[in-house]
Amino acid sequence: MAARVRSRQALTGYVFVLPAVALFAVMGVYTVGYGLALSFARWNGFTPYWTWVGVGNYLDLIYRDPTIAPIVQGAAVRTVVVMIAQPVLTVLISFPLAVALNRITLLRAAFRTVFFLPQVTAGIALYYAWSYALQPDGSLNFILRHLGLGTIAQPQGWLGNPATALPTLIVVAVFGAVPVAMLLYLTGLQSIDQSVIDAARVDGAGGLRTMTSVVWPLLLPITGAVVVLNLRDALQGFSQTLLMTNGGPGGHTLVLGLESYNLAFFSGLKPTLGLSSALGWILFVIALLLAAVNLRALRSRA
Amino acid sequence: MRARIVVHALLAGYALISLYPFLLMVSGALKDSREILLDGHFLPSDPTLSTLARTWSELHFFTYFGNSLIVTGFTTLGVLVVYSLAGYAFAVLPFPGRRPLYGMFLSLLFVPGVTVLLPVVILQQKLGLIGTFPGIILPFVNGTAPLSIMLLTNSFRAVPGELKESARCDGAGELRTFWSIYLPVSRPALITVALLTAVPTWNEYVLTRVSLNDASRYTLPLALQNLNSSTAPQENVLMAASLIIVIPVIILFVLLQRYFVNGLQGAVKG
Repeated sequence: MAARVRSRQALTGYVFVLPAVALFAVMGVYTVGYGLALSFARWNGFTPYWTWVGVGNYLDLIYRDPTIAPIVQGAAVRTVVVMIAQPVLTVLISFPLAVALNRITLLRAAFRTVFFLPQVTAGIALYYAWSYALQPDGSLNFILRHLGLGTIAQPQGWLGNPATALPTLIVVAVFGAVPVAMLLYLTGLQSIDQSVIDAARVDGAGGLRTMTSVVWPLLLPITGAVVVLNLRDALQGFSQTLLMTNGGPGGHTLVLGLESYNLAFFSGLKPTLGLSSALGWILFVIALLLAAVNLRALRSRA
Repeated sequence: MRARIVVHALLAGYALISLYPFLLMVSGALKDSREILLDGHFLPSDPTLSTLARTWSELHFFTYFGNSLIVTGFTTLGVLVVYSLAGYAFAVLPFPGRRPLYGMFLSLLFVPGVTVLLPVVILQQKLGLIGTFPGIILPFVNGTAPLSIMLLTNSFRAVPGELKESARCDGAGELRTFWSIYLPVSRPALITVALLTAVPTWNEYVLTRVSLNDASRYTLPLALQNLNSSTAPQENVLMAASLIIVIPVIILFVLLQRYFVNGLQGAVKG
Protein backbone atom coordinates (compact mmCIF):
# COMPACT_ATOMS: atom_id res chain seq x y z
CA MET A 1 0.00 0.00 0.00
CA ALA A 2 2.67 2.50 1.10
CA ALA A 3 4.85 1.50 -1.83
CA ARG A 4 1.99 2.01 -4.23
CA VAL A 5 1.30 5.48 -2.82
CA ARG A 6 4.96 6.32 -3.14
CA SER A 7 5.28 5.19 -6.72
CA ARG A 8 2.10 7.02 -7.62
CA GLN A 9 3.47 10.17 -6.00
CA ALA A 10 6.72 9.79 -7.91
CA LEU A 11 4.82 9.39 -11.16
CA THR A 12 2.72 12.48 -10.40
CA GLY A 13 5.95 14.31 -9.55
CA TYR A 14 7.39 13.53 -12.97
CA VAL A 15 4.21 14.65 -14.69
CA PHE A 16 4.26 17.93 -12.73
CA VAL A 17 7.87 18.80 -13.59
CA LEU A 18 7.55 17.63 -17.19
CA PRO A 19 6.66 21.01 -18.78
CA ALA A 20 9.52 22.74 -16.95
CA VAL A 21 11.99 20.00 -17.87
CA ALA A 22 10.91 19.94 -21.52
CA LEU A 23 11.36 23.70 -21.80
CA PHE A 24 14.67 23.47 -19.96
CA ALA A 25 15.91 20.72 -22.27
CA VAL A 26 15.17 22.75 -25.40
CA MET A 27 15.86 26.31 -24.25
CA GLY A 28 18.53 25.56 -21.65
CA VAL A 29 20.50 22.38 -22.27
CA TYR A 30 20.30 22.52 -26.05
CA THR A 31 21.28 26.19 -26.34
CA VAL A 32 24.12 25.92 -23.83
CA GLY A 33 25.45 22.81 -25.58
CA TYR A 34 25.06 24.37 -29.00
CA GLY A 35 26.91 27.49 -27.87
CA LEU A 36 29.73 25.42 -26.40
CA ALA A 37 30.12 23.41 -29.61
CA LEU A 38 30.02 26.54 -31.73
CA SER A 39 32.79 28.10 -29.64
CA PHE A 40 35.15 25.50 -31.15
CA ALA A 41 34.15 26.22 -34.74
CA ARG A 42 34.27 28.92 -37.39
CA TRP A 43 30.96 29.88 -38.98
CA ASN A 44 29.27 32.94 -40.42
CA GLY A 45 25.70 31.73 -39.95
CA PHE A 46 24.99 31.20 -43.64
CA THR A 47 27.26 28.45 -44.94
CA PRO A 48 25.94 24.92 -44.44
CA TYR A 49 28.99 23.62 -42.57
CA TRP A 50 31.08 24.64 -39.58
CA THR A 51 34.88 24.55 -39.78
CA TRP A 52 36.28 23.03 -36.59
CA VAL A 53 39.15 25.03 -35.14
CA GLY A 54 39.54 23.50 -31.67
CA VAL A 55 40.46 26.13 -29.09
CA GLY A 56 41.49 28.48 -31.92
CA ASN A 57 38.70 30.94 -31.18
CA TYR A 58 39.76 31.27 -27.57
CA LEU A 59 43.39 31.87 -28.57
CA ASP A 60 42.34 34.37 -31.24
CA LEU A 61 40.30 36.31 -28.72
CA ILE A 62 42.97 36.37 -26.04
CA TYR A 63 46.10 37.13 -28.05
CA ARG A 64 46.43 35.56 -31.50
CA ASP A 65 44.22 37.46 -33.91
CA PRO A 66 45.83 40.82 -34.82
CA THR A 67 42.50 42.63 -35.28
CA ILE A 68 40.20 40.98 -32.72
CA ALA A 69 42.60 40.44 -29.80
CA PRO A 70 43.44 44.14 -29.23
CA ILE A 71 39.73 45.00 -29.30
CA VAL A 72 38.96 42.25 -26.79
CA GLN A 73 41.85 43.28 -24.55
CA GLY A 74 40.66 46.89 -24.52
CA ALA A 75 37.12 45.75 -23.76
CA ALA A 76 38.45 43.51 -20.97
CA VAL A 77 40.24 46.43 -19.33
CA ARG A 78 37.09 48.55 -19.47
CA THR A 79 35.01 45.67 -18.12
CA VAL A 80 37.39 45.32 -15.17
CA VAL A 81 37.18 49.07 -14.54
CA VAL A 82 33.37 48.81 -14.42
CA MET A 83 33.60 45.70 -12.21
CA ILE A 84 35.64 47.66 -9.68
CA ALA A 85 33.90 51.02 -9.83
CA GLN A 86 30.28 49.88 -9.94
CA PRO A 87 30.23 47.74 -6.75
CA VAL A 88 32.32 50.25 -4.79
CA LEU A 89 30.19 53.25 -5.73
CA THR A 90 26.97 51.31 -5.19
CA VAL A 91 28.02 50.37 -1.66
CA LEU A 92 29.24 53.91 -0.91
CA ILE A 93 25.88 55.38 -1.89
CA SER A 94 23.40 52.73 -0.80
CA PHE A 95 24.76 52.06 2.70
CA PRO A 96 24.48 55.67 4.00
CA LEU A 97 21.16 55.97 2.21
CA ALA A 98 19.80 52.90 3.99
CA VAL A 99 21.13 54.11 7.34
CA ALA A 100 19.44 57.48 6.80
CA LEU A 101 16.20 55.82 5.71
CA ASN A 102 16.26 53.58 8.77
CA ARG A 103 16.56 56.64 11.04
CA ILE A 104 13.37 58.33 9.99
CA THR A 105 9.73 57.37 10.35
CA LEU A 106 8.12 60.33 8.65
CA LEU A 107 7.96 59.81 4.86
CA ARG A 108 9.96 56.58 5.02
CA ALA A 109 7.58 54.63 2.80
CA ALA A 110 7.40 57.50 0.30
CA PHE A 111 11.18 57.77 0.07
CA ARG A 112 11.55 54.04 -0.34
CA THR A 113 9.06 54.02 -3.19
CA VAL A 114 10.83 56.87 -4.98
CA PHE A 115 14.28 55.33 -4.47
CA PHE A 116 13.02 52.13 -6.00
CA LEU A 117 11.67 53.54 -9.26
CA PRO A 118 14.99 53.25 -11.15
CA GLN A 119 14.96 49.50 -10.48
CA VAL A 120 11.53 48.65 -11.87
CA THR A 121 11.84 50.98 -14.84
CA ALA A 122 15.37 49.89 -15.80
CA GLY A 123 15.41 49.69 -19.56
CA ILE A 124 15.47 51.62 -22.78
CA ALA A 125 13.12 54.39 -21.64
CA LEU A 126 15.29 55.23 -18.66
CA TYR A 127 18.51 55.05 -20.70
CA TYR A 128 17.09 57.39 -23.32
CA ALA A 129 16.01 59.84 -20.63
CA TRP A 130 19.59 59.84 -19.31
CA SER A 131 20.99 60.26 -22.82
CA TYR A 132 18.65 63.21 -23.26
CA ALA A 133 19.92 64.75 -20.01
CA LEU A 134 23.56 64.17 -20.98
CA GLN A 135 23.45 65.75 -24.44
CA PRO A 136 25.58 68.81 -25.31
CA ASP A 137 22.59 71.14 -24.82
CA GLY A 138 20.90 68.79 -22.37
CA SER A 139 19.56 69.32 -18.92
CA LEU A 140 22.71 68.39 -16.99
CA ASN A 141 24.94 70.92 -18.74
CA PHE A 142 22.15 73.47 -18.36
CA ILE A 143 21.97 72.90 -14.61
CA LEU A 144 25.76 73.06 -14.22
CA ARG A 145 26.00 76.33 -16.16
CA HIS A 146 23.25 77.88 -14.06
CA LEU A 147 24.92 76.80 -10.84
CA GLY A 148 28.06 78.60 -11.95
CA LEU A 149 29.76 75.28 -12.65
CA GLY A 150 29.98 75.88 -16.39
CA THR A 151 33.59 74.73 -16.43
CA ILE A 152 32.50 71.17 -15.58
CA ALA A 153 29.86 71.16 -18.32
CA GLN A 154 30.68 68.97 -21.30
CA PRO A 155 30.18 70.88 -24.58
CA GLN A 156 30.52 67.61 -26.54
CA GLY A 157 27.96 65.95 -24.31
CA TRP A 158 28.82 63.60 -21.46
CA LEU A 159 28.60 60.55 -23.68
CA GLY A 160 30.28 62.24 -26.64
CA ASN A 161 33.56 62.99 -24.92
CA PRO A 162 35.81 59.89 -24.90
CA ALA A 163 37.19 60.87 -21.48
CA THR A 164 33.83 61.14 -19.73
CA ALA A 165 31.76 58.52 -21.60
CA LEU A 166 32.74 55.43 -19.57
CA PRO A 167 32.63 57.15 -16.14
CA THR A 168 29.21 58.56 -17.06
CA LEU A 169 27.92 55.12 -18.03
CA ILE A 170 29.20 53.75 -14.71
CA VAL A 171 27.34 56.45 -12.79
CA VAL A 172 24.13 55.64 -14.65
CA ALA A 173 24.65 51.94 -13.90
CA VAL A 174 25.18 52.73 -10.23
CA PHE A 175 21.96 54.75 -10.28
CA GLY A 176 20.24 51.56 -11.43
CA ALA A 177 22.02 49.36 -8.88
CA VAL A 178 21.42 51.46 -5.76
CA PRO A 179 17.73 50.51 -5.22
CA VAL A 180 18.28 46.79 -4.64
CA ALA A 181 21.43 47.40 -2.60
CA MET A 182 19.65 49.95 -0.44
CA LEU A 183 16.76 47.58 0.11
CA LEU A 184 19.10 44.77 1.19
CA TYR A 185 20.93 47.06 3.61
CA LEU A 186 17.62 48.28 4.97
CA THR A 187 16.52 44.71 5.66
CA GLY A 188 19.85 44.06 7.34
CA LEU A 189 19.61 47.17 9.50
CA GLN A 190 16.13 46.22 10.64
CA SER A 191 17.35 42.80 11.73
CA ILE A 192 20.11 44.22 13.96
CA ASP A 193 19.22 43.91 17.62
CA GLN A 194 18.79 47.39 19.09
CA SER A 195 20.51 46.24 22.32
CA VAL A 196 23.79 45.76 20.43
CA ILE A 197 23.69 49.39 19.36
CA ASP A 198 22.66 50.52 22.84
CA ALA A 199 25.60 48.62 24.32
CA ALA A 200 27.99 50.41 21.99
CA ARG A 201 26.43 53.71 23.03
CA VAL A 202 26.88 52.88 26.71
CA ASP A 203 30.52 52.13 26.01
CA GLY A 204 30.79 55.69 24.79
CA ALA A 205 30.78 55.13 21.03
CA GLY A 206 29.38 58.08 19.07
CA GLY A 207 26.96 57.80 16.15
CA LEU A 208 29.67 57.52 13.51
CA ARG A 209 31.78 55.17 15.61
CA THR A 210 28.77 52.87 16.16
CA MET A 211 28.23 52.82 12.41
CA THR A 212 31.78 51.99 11.44
CA SER A 213 32.68 49.53 14.18
CA VAL A 214 29.37 47.87 15.01
CA VAL A 215 26.81 48.18 12.22
CA TRP A 216 29.14 47.96 9.21
CA PRO A 217 30.83 44.70 10.39
CA LEU A 218 27.44 43.16 11.17
CA LEU A 219 26.25 43.94 7.66
CA LEU A 220 29.32 42.57 5.88
CA PRO A 221 27.41 39.58 4.47
CA ILE A 222 25.00 42.02 2.84
CA THR A 223 27.88 44.02 1.43
CA GLY A 224 29.14 40.71 0.04
CA ALA A 225 25.82 40.04 -1.66
CA VAL A 226 25.68 43.58 -3.08
CA VAL A 227 29.21 43.29 -4.43
CA VAL A 228 28.53 39.94 -6.09
CA LEU A 229 25.29 41.13 -7.69
CA ASN A 230 27.08 44.14 -9.12
CA LEU A 231 30.12 42.17 -10.25
CA ARG A 232 27.86 39.86 -12.20
CA ASP A 233 25.95 42.75 -13.67
CA ALA A 234 29.13 44.60 -14.64
CA LEU A 235 30.62 41.47 -16.18
CA GLN A 236 27.63 40.42 -18.27
CA GLY A 237 25.38 43.41 -18.68
CA PHE A 238 25.63 45.40 -21.85
CA SER A 239 22.14 46.58 -22.81
CA GLN A 240 22.68 49.96 -21.16
CA THR A 241 25.93 50.46 -23.09
CA LEU A 242 24.35 49.18 -26.29
CA LEU A 243 21.51 51.68 -26.04
CA MET A 244 23.36 54.73 -24.71
CA THR A 245 26.64 54.67 -26.65
CA ASN A 246 26.79 51.40 -28.60
CA GLY A 247 30.44 51.20 -27.54
CA GLY A 248 31.28 54.71 -28.78
CA PRO A 249 32.72 57.24 -29.06
CA GLY A 250 35.44 55.48 -30.99
CA GLY A 251 35.14 52.24 -29.01
CA HIS A 252 35.81 53.98 -25.68
CA THR A 253 32.88 52.30 -23.93
CA LEU A 254 33.07 48.88 -25.58
CA VAL A 255 32.78 46.14 -22.93
CA LEU A 256 33.08 42.35 -23.29
CA GLY A 257 29.34 41.58 -23.32
CA LEU A 258 28.77 44.11 -26.07
CA GLU A 259 31.71 42.77 -28.09
CA SER A 260 30.24 39.26 -27.92
CA TYR A 261 26.90 40.66 -29.06
CA ASN A 262 28.53 42.52 -31.96
CA LEU A 263 30.49 39.44 -33.05
CA ALA A 264 27.25 37.46 -33.10
CA PHE A 265 24.92 39.88 -34.81
CA PHE A 266 26.84 42.69 -36.47
CA SER A 267 29.68 41.10 -38.38
CA GLY A 268 27.92 40.66 -41.69
CA LEU A 269 29.30 37.66 -43.55
CA LYS A 270 32.50 37.37 -41.52
CA PRO A 271 32.77 33.99 -39.75
CA THR A 272 32.75 35.37 -36.20
CA LEU A 273 29.90 33.40 -34.61
CA GLY A 274 32.34 30.94 -33.04
CA LEU A 275 34.35 33.84 -31.63
CA SER A 276 31.19 35.30 -30.14
CA SER A 277 30.31 31.98 -28.50
CA ALA A 278 33.84 31.56 -27.17
CA LEU A 279 33.70 35.04 -25.64
CA GLY A 280 30.31 34.20 -24.11
CA TRP A 281 31.85 31.07 -22.56
CA ILE A 282 34.78 33.03 -21.17
CA LEU A 283 32.25 35.30 -19.46
CA PHE A 284 30.35 32.24 -18.21
CA VAL A 285 33.47 30.72 -16.68
CA ILE A 286 34.43 33.99 -14.97
CA ALA A 287 30.88 34.22 -13.58
CA LEU A 288 31.16 30.67 -12.20
CA LEU A 289 34.51 31.44 -10.60
CA LEU A 290 33.10 34.56 -8.95
CA ALA A 291 30.15 32.55 -7.66
CA ALA A 292 32.47 29.89 -6.26
CA VAL A 293 34.67 32.47 -4.52
CA ASN A 294 31.57 34.07 -3.07
CA LEU A 295 30.19 30.76 -1.80
CA ARG A 296 33.51 29.97 -0.20
CA ALA A 297 33.69 33.35 1.50
CA LEU A 298 30.18 32.88 2.87
CA ARG A 299 30.95 29.35 4.12
CA SER A 300 34.15 30.38 5.87
CA ARG A 301 32.29 33.09 7.70
CA ALA A 302 29.47 30.85 8.84
CA MET B 1 16.74 67.81 15.85
CA ARG B 2 19.42 69.21 13.58
CA ALA B 3 20.62 65.72 12.78
CA ARG B 4 17.12 64.78 11.70
CA ILE B 5 16.98 67.73 9.32
CA VAL B 6 20.31 66.71 7.80
CA VAL B 7 19.04 63.15 7.34
CA HIS B 8 15.86 64.34 5.68
CA ALA B 9 17.79 66.72 3.44
CA LEU B 10 20.09 63.90 2.35
CA LEU B 11 17.16 61.64 1.55
CA ALA B 12 15.29 64.40 -0.27
CA GLY B 13 18.41 65.08 -2.31
CA TYR B 14 18.70 61.49 -3.44
CA ALA B 15 14.96 61.32 -4.06
CA LEU B 16 15.40 64.22 -6.48
CA ILE B 17 18.19 62.34 -8.27
CA SER B 18 15.98 59.23 -8.43
CA LEU B 19 13.15 61.21 -9.94
CA TYR B 20 15.33 63.25 -12.28
CA PRO B 21 15.04 61.05 -15.41
CA PHE B 22 11.28 60.69 -14.93
CA LEU B 23 10.82 64.43 -14.50
CA LEU B 24 12.81 64.87 -17.72
CA MET B 25 10.50 62.45 -19.53
CA VAL B 26 7.49 64.46 -18.41
CA SER B 27 9.17 67.76 -19.23
CA GLY B 28 10.34 66.57 -22.66
CA ALA B 29 7.02 64.96 -23.56
CA LEU B 30 5.14 68.17 -22.76
CA LYS B 31 7.31 70.31 -25.04
CA ASP B 32 6.38 70.96 -28.65
CA SER B 33 8.69 70.22 -31.58
CA ARG B 34 10.02 73.76 -31.64
CA GLU B 35 10.80 74.19 -27.96
CA ILE B 36 12.49 70.80 -27.66
CA LEU B 37 15.31 72.11 -29.87
CA LEU B 38 16.14 74.93 -27.46
CA ASP B 39 18.46 74.51 -24.48
CA GLY B 40 17.74 72.22 -21.55
CA HIS B 41 15.20 74.42 -19.82
CA PHE B 42 13.23 72.26 -17.46
CA LEU B 43 9.76 73.79 -17.48
CA PRO B 44 8.03 73.79 -20.87
CA SER B 45 6.97 77.34 -21.68
CA ASP B 46 3.83 76.15 -23.43
CA PRO B 47 3.05 72.62 -22.19
CA THR B 48 1.09 70.50 -24.66
CA LEU B 49 -0.33 66.99 -24.66
CA SER B 50 -0.28 66.83 -28.45
CA THR B 51 3.11 65.06 -28.59
CA LEU B 52 1.85 62.31 -26.32
CA ALA B 53 -1.37 61.99 -28.31
CA ARG B 54 0.48 61.92 -31.63
CA THR B 55 2.92 59.25 -30.37
CA TRP B 56 0.05 57.11 -29.14
CA SER B 57 -2.09 57.28 -32.28
CA GLU B 58 -0.14 58.37 -35.37
CA LEU B 59 3.04 56.56 -34.40
CA HIS B 60 1.00 53.44 -33.53
CA PHE B 61 2.14 53.16 -29.96
CA PHE B 62 -1.22 51.65 -29.07
CA THR B 63 -0.30 48.70 -31.31
CA TYR B 64 3.10 48.33 -29.68
CA PHE B 65 1.49 48.65 -26.28
CA GLY B 66 -0.80 45.77 -27.22
CA ASN B 67 2.15 43.70 -28.44
CA SER B 68 3.98 44.32 -25.18
CA LEU B 69 0.88 43.31 -23.25
CA ILE B 70 0.59 40.06 -25.22
CA VAL B 71 4.25 39.13 -24.76
CA THR B 72 4.32 40.09 -21.07
CA GLY B 73 0.95 38.50 -20.34
CA PHE B 74 1.69 35.14 -21.93
CA THR B 75 5.20 35.01 -20.48
CA THR B 76 3.83 35.63 -17.00
CA LEU B 77 1.02 33.13 -17.44
CA GLY B 78 3.46 30.54 -18.76
CA VAL B 79 5.83 31.06 -15.85
CA LEU B 80 3.03 30.72 -13.29
CA VAL B 81 1.63 27.53 -14.81
CA VAL B 82 4.89 25.73 -15.60
CA TYR B 83 6.82 26.63 -12.45
CA SER B 84 4.03 26.33 -9.91
CA LEU B 85 3.55 22.75 -11.12
CA ALA B 86 7.28 22.14 -10.93
CA GLY B 87 7.57 23.88 -7.56
CA TYR B 88 4.78 21.70 -6.18
CA ALA B 89 6.59 18.57 -7.32
CA PHE B 90 9.88 19.78 -5.83
CA ALA B 91 8.26 20.74 -2.54
CA VAL B 92 5.67 18.04 -1.96
CA LEU B 93 6.08 15.01 -4.20
CA PRO B 94 9.11 12.85 -3.47
CA PHE B 95 10.47 11.28 -6.66
CA PRO B 96 13.86 9.81 -7.53
CA GLY B 97 16.21 12.42 -8.96
CA ARG B 98 14.39 15.32 -7.37
CA ARG B 99 17.39 17.03 -5.78
CA PRO B 100 19.76 16.89 -8.79
CA LEU B 101 16.98 18.13 -11.03
CA TYR B 102 16.31 21.06 -8.69
CA GLY B 103 20.03 21.86 -8.65
CA MET B 104 20.13 21.76 -12.43
CA PHE B 105 17.41 24.39 -12.67
CA LEU B 106 19.15 26.65 -10.18
CA SER B 107 22.48 26.34 -12.02
CA LEU B 108 20.80 28.07 -14.95
CA LEU B 109 21.14 31.21 -12.83
CA PHE B 110 24.83 31.39 -13.65
CA VAL B 111 24.48 31.26 -17.42
CA PRO B 112 24.95 34.80 -18.75
CA GLY B 113 22.22 35.93 -21.13
CA VAL B 114 24.75 36.84 -23.80
CA THR B 115 26.19 33.30 -23.78
CA VAL B 116 22.93 31.75 -24.95
CA LEU B 117 21.61 34.69 -26.97
CA LEU B 118 22.96 33.49 -30.31
CA PRO B 119 22.02 29.80 -29.80
CA VAL B 120 18.48 30.88 -28.84
CA VAL B 121 18.14 32.87 -32.07
CA ILE B 122 19.47 29.93 -34.12
CA LEU B 123 17.02 27.64 -32.34
CA GLN B 124 14.18 30.03 -33.14
CA GLN B 125 15.17 29.81 -36.79
CA LYS B 126 15.26 26.01 -36.72
CA LEU B 127 11.85 25.82 -35.10
CA GLY B 128 10.44 28.40 -37.49
CA LEU B 129 9.67 30.69 -34.56
CA ILE B 130 11.92 33.60 -35.48
CA GLY B 131 9.97 36.83 -35.57
CA THR B 132 6.99 35.35 -33.72
CA PHE B 133 5.74 35.98 -30.20
CA PRO B 134 6.13 32.33 -29.09
CA GLY B 135 9.74 32.57 -30.28
CA ILE B 136 10.53 35.09 -27.56
CA ILE B 137 7.99 33.98 -24.95
CA LEU B 138 9.47 30.47 -24.61
CA PRO B 139 13.04 31.63 -23.83
CA PHE B 140 11.66 34.34 -21.54
CA VAL B 141 9.73 31.72 -19.57
CA ASN B 142 12.75 29.46 -19.34
CA GLY B 143 14.95 32.38 -18.32
CA THR B 144 12.94 32.92 -15.15
CA ALA B 145 13.14 29.23 -14.16
CA PRO B 146 15.77 29.48 -11.39
CA LEU B 147 14.15 32.34 -9.53
CA SER B 148 10.54 31.19 -10.02
CA ILE B 149 11.24 27.60 -9.02
CA MET B 150 13.17 28.70 -5.96
CA LEU B 151 10.52 31.13 -4.72
CA LEU B 152 7.58 28.82 -5.41
CA THR B 153 9.23 25.69 -4.02
CA ASN B 154 10.08 27.54 -0.81
CA SER B 155 6.56 28.85 -0.55
CA PHE B 156 4.95 25.41 -1.10
CA ARG B 157 7.32 23.86 1.42
CA ALA B 158 6.07 26.29 4.04
CA VAL B 159 2.50 25.02 3.67
CA PRO B 160 1.67 22.90 6.77
CA GLY B 161 1.50 19.18 5.97
CA GLU B 162 -1.76 18.79 7.93
CA LEU B 163 -3.56 20.75 5.25
CA LYS B 164 -2.46 18.23 2.68
CA GLU B 165 -3.36 15.30 4.91
CA SER B 166 -6.85 16.62 5.57
CA ALA B 167 -7.37 17.14 1.85
CA ARG B 168 -6.26 13.54 1.31
CA CYS B 169 -8.76 12.30 3.85
CA ASP B 170 -11.48 14.18 2.00
CA GLY B 171 -10.48 12.16 -1.05
CA ALA B 172 -8.82 14.98 -3.00
CA GLY B 173 -6.36 13.88 -5.68
CA GLU B 174 -2.95 15.45 -6.27
CA LEU B 175 -4.16 17.98 -8.81
CA ARG B 176 -7.08 18.95 -6.59
CA THR B 177 -4.81 19.41 -3.55
CA PHE B 178 -2.46 21.52 -5.64
CA TRP B 179 -5.22 23.64 -7.12
CA SER B 180 -7.51 24.23 -4.18
CA ILE B 181 -5.07 24.20 -1.25
CA TYR B 182 -1.50 25.01 -2.26
CA LEU B 183 -2.18 27.66 -4.89
CA PRO B 184 -4.57 29.78 -2.79
CA VAL B 185 -2.31 29.61 0.27
CA SER B 186 0.72 30.67 -1.81
CA ARG B 187 -0.96 33.64 -3.43
CA PRO B 188 1.66 36.16 -2.21
CA ALA B 189 4.49 34.10 -3.72
CA LEU B 190 2.58 33.74 -6.98
CA ILE B 191 2.05 37.51 -7.17
CA THR B 192 5.75 38.07 -6.44
CA VAL B 193 6.80 35.67 -9.19
CA ALA B 194 4.33 37.28 -11.59
CA LEU B 195 5.76 40.73 -10.90
CA LEU B 196 9.39 39.66 -11.05
CA THR B 197 8.58 38.12 -14.43
CA ALA B 198 6.32 40.79 -15.87
CA VAL B 199 8.45 43.86 -15.19
CA PRO B 200 11.73 42.68 -16.77
CA THR B 201 9.78 41.16 -19.68
CA TRP B 202 8.02 44.47 -20.27
CA ASN B 203 11.41 46.23 -20.33
CA GLU B 204 13.35 43.54 -22.25
CA TYR B 205 15.22 44.75 -25.28
CA VAL B 206 18.14 42.59 -26.41
CA LEU B 207 16.54 39.25 -27.33
CA THR B 208 13.48 41.03 -28.69
CA ARG B 209 15.69 43.17 -30.86
CA VAL B 210 17.46 40.26 -32.52
CA SER B 211 14.30 38.12 -32.80
CA LEU B 212 11.47 40.34 -33.97
CA ASN B 213 11.99 41.72 -37.45
CA ASP B 214 8.50 42.77 -38.52
CA ALA B 215 7.62 46.27 -37.31
CA SER B 216 3.98 45.29 -36.79
CA ARG B 217 5.08 42.91 -34.02
CA TYR B 218 7.42 45.33 -32.24
CA THR B 219 7.10 45.65 -28.50
CA LEU B 220 7.35 49.08 -26.88
CA PRO B 221 11.14 49.03 -26.28
CA LEU B 222 11.77 48.12 -29.93
CA ALA B 223 9.35 50.76 -31.15
CA LEU B 224 11.15 53.36 -29.06
CA GLN B 225 14.54 52.26 -30.37
CA ASN B 226 13.14 52.37 -33.90
CA LEU B 227 12.01 55.97 -33.38
CA ASN B 228 15.48 56.90 -32.19
CA SER B 229 17.17 55.38 -35.24
CA SER B 230 14.88 57.17 -37.68
CA THR B 231 16.35 59.99 -39.74
CA ALA B 232 15.42 62.88 -37.47
CA PRO B 233 14.57 61.62 -33.99
CA GLN B 234 12.79 64.23 -31.91
CA GLU B 235 13.45 64.20 -28.21
CA ASN B 236 9.92 65.21 -27.27
CA VAL B 237 8.53 62.18 -29.13
CA LEU B 238 11.20 59.92 -27.59
CA MET B 239 10.32 61.14 -24.10
CA ALA B 240 6.59 60.72 -24.76
CA ALA B 241 7.24 57.15 -25.89
CA SER B 242 9.42 56.56 -22.83
CA LEU B 243 6.61 57.75 -20.59
CA ILE B 244 4.22 55.32 -22.26
CA ILE B 245 6.65 52.53 -21.34
CA VAL B 246 7.33 53.48 -17.73
CA ILE B 247 3.90 54.63 -16.53
CA PRO B 248 2.27 51.16 -16.40
CA VAL B 249 5.29 49.78 -14.53
CA ILE B 250 5.30 52.62 -12.03
CA ILE B 251 1.58 52.16 -11.35
CA LEU B 252 2.03 48.41 -10.91
CA PHE B 253 4.97 48.94 -8.58
CA VAL B 254 3.29 51.56 -6.40
CA LEU B 255 0.23 49.33 -5.98
CA LEU B 256 2.07 46.09 -5.28
CA GLN B 257 5.42 47.13 -3.86
CA ARG B 258 5.47 44.85 -0.86
CA TYR B 259 5.44 41.83 -3.20
CA PHE B 260 8.43 43.23 -5.10
CA VAL B 261 10.30 43.86 -1.88
CA ASN B 262 9.61 40.37 -0.50
CA GLY B 263 10.58 38.78 -3.79
CA LEU B 264 13.88 40.60 -4.14
CA GLN B 265 14.81 39.82 -0.56
CA GLY B 266 13.88 36.16 -1.04
CA ALA B 267 15.83 36.01 -4.29
CA VAL B 268 19.05 37.23 -2.71
CA LYS B 269 18.75 35.26 0.52
CA GLY B 270 18.03 32.04 -1.36
